[in-house]
Amino acid sequence: MKIDWAALGIVAVVSITATVLFMILLATSIRLLSAARVKTNQGQSATVTLSLGYSLLGLAALLVLFCIYLIVPQFH
Amino acid sequence: MGSDVTELFVVIAVVMVALIFDFTNGFHDSANAMAGPVATGALRPRTAVILAAVLNLVGACLSTEVAKTISGGFFDEELITVSIILAGLVGAIIWNLLTWLLGLPSSSSHALFGGLIGAVIVGAGFASVHGWVIVSKVLLPAIVAPLVAGIGAALATMLAYRITRRTPSGHSNTGFKYGQAFTASLVALAHGTSDGQKTMGVITLVLIAANLQPPDTGPQPWVILSAGIAIGLGTYSGGWRIMRMLGKGVVEIETPQGAASGAASTATILSSAHLGFGLSTTHVATGSILGSGVGRRDAEVRWGVARKMVFAWLLTLPGSGLVGGAAGLLANRGLAGVIALLVLLAGTCLVIWAFSRPNKISRHNVTDSREVLVLASPRQAEYVNDPRGDAVTKPKKNKKHKAKSAA
Repeated sequence: MKIDWAALGIVAVVSITATVLFMILLATSIRLLSAARVKTNQGQSATVTLSLGYSLLGLAALLVLFCIYLIVPQFH
Repeated sequence: MGSDVTELFVVIAVVMVALIFDFTNGFHDSANAMAGPVATGALRPRTAVILAAVLNLVGACLSTEVAKTISGGFFDEELITVSIILAGLVGAIIWNLLTWLLGLPSSSSHALFGGLIGAVIVGAGFASVHGWVIVSKVLLPAIVAPLVAGIGAALATMLAYRITRRTPSGHSNTGFKYGQAFTASLVALAHGTSDGQKTMGVITLVLIAANLQPPDTGPQPWVILSAGIAIGLGTYSGGWRIMRMLGKGVVEIETPQGAASGAASTATILSSAHLGFGLSTTHVATGSILGSGVGRRDAEVRWGVARKMVFAWLLTLPGSGLVGGAAGLLANRGLAGVIALLVLLAGTCLVIWAFSRPNKISRHNVTDSREVLVLASPRQAEYVNDPRGDAVTKPKKNKKHKAKSAA
């Protein structure tokens, strides 16, 4: 029997990609939501920034759900 | 005469011992995942403990790939007997207790694998161990997965700080606080998936060995559920440790680092579990914590502590293998040997308990024995990592603290 290098490679690529993607989404949404709050405090409208921030947060959650969906055999 | 009854007795004993092993695993691990968000105030202790326990149970039901690796991949199922598996489990538990007493950071997952391998070699010969499967699904992932988690956490930490560079620190702190609570919950889920399955694999292996289940099949629903419940209950009763860590005023690594390392651990553990790798969750978590230290410029990483952990990890497989092999010698002697093994297990627990008493393991020196991996900054307190990782059993302290917190 041979060693399954491909499986190790998949783990490496998928894990790092998922982690980095999740963090980009999370950090960007934190940045946007903060910017929205600053804007609101200055009396400006921040609807776009706010909704953009929340949708990125939603995307991050979706990413996690999708990854879990991928590993559960009952869904396939 | 009565060999069926004997076998049934041994099967039940193994299932019980395996579930206890599972319980102690949850008891030991998941509180660690939740200590971060509790310390930052993102979750209340009670919420965190219940959440971790439930997610452990849910996680255990998610996948059975690791269980299948253990029950169907490691060993030649034809040659495995029930008593060999009992010997493996006893070897793993005794090794865990010994390393716990000596303060060695040892992985209970690797102790389990080592114990089983040792017992199988003694009981059924070298040929019955599928060496390549073990290299491919345990040894290599043990090296690769922590590295992957570390790289992921380092990259994510760097990105987190870079993206929120101009964000007011109050805002980003609050944001990452909840991010950290979220990823810590995911770690609890992944922990259930990865470690819960090891127990399922062992129980399934026993059922196959006792001809109660056909070879090459996965764990049965009741096995999945009871393993999930055992690890969840363990997590729930281990929750007091969070209070203790808080009581000592232990401050975390910064919240972006916590969020990053949690995300990296989760991604690595879940993807590895999906491919049937028998990982130690503690190894991965340690890798990502180190990575989150590397990813932040002004954080101080204690490489000496990391090195010590690596040595302990290297020792675990052969060490527990030897203990498992010795137990295998006993287990081969029929019912008398099996009973002797169970008595020996109980005796060892008692002796080690007695030995640890003079050291008075109280809340003070327990936290002292934890080792610092990453210092957030000189002024801040340190992130404290459990050196024994997912090592098994600290029942005594649990009772003490339960009594205390109840009082």
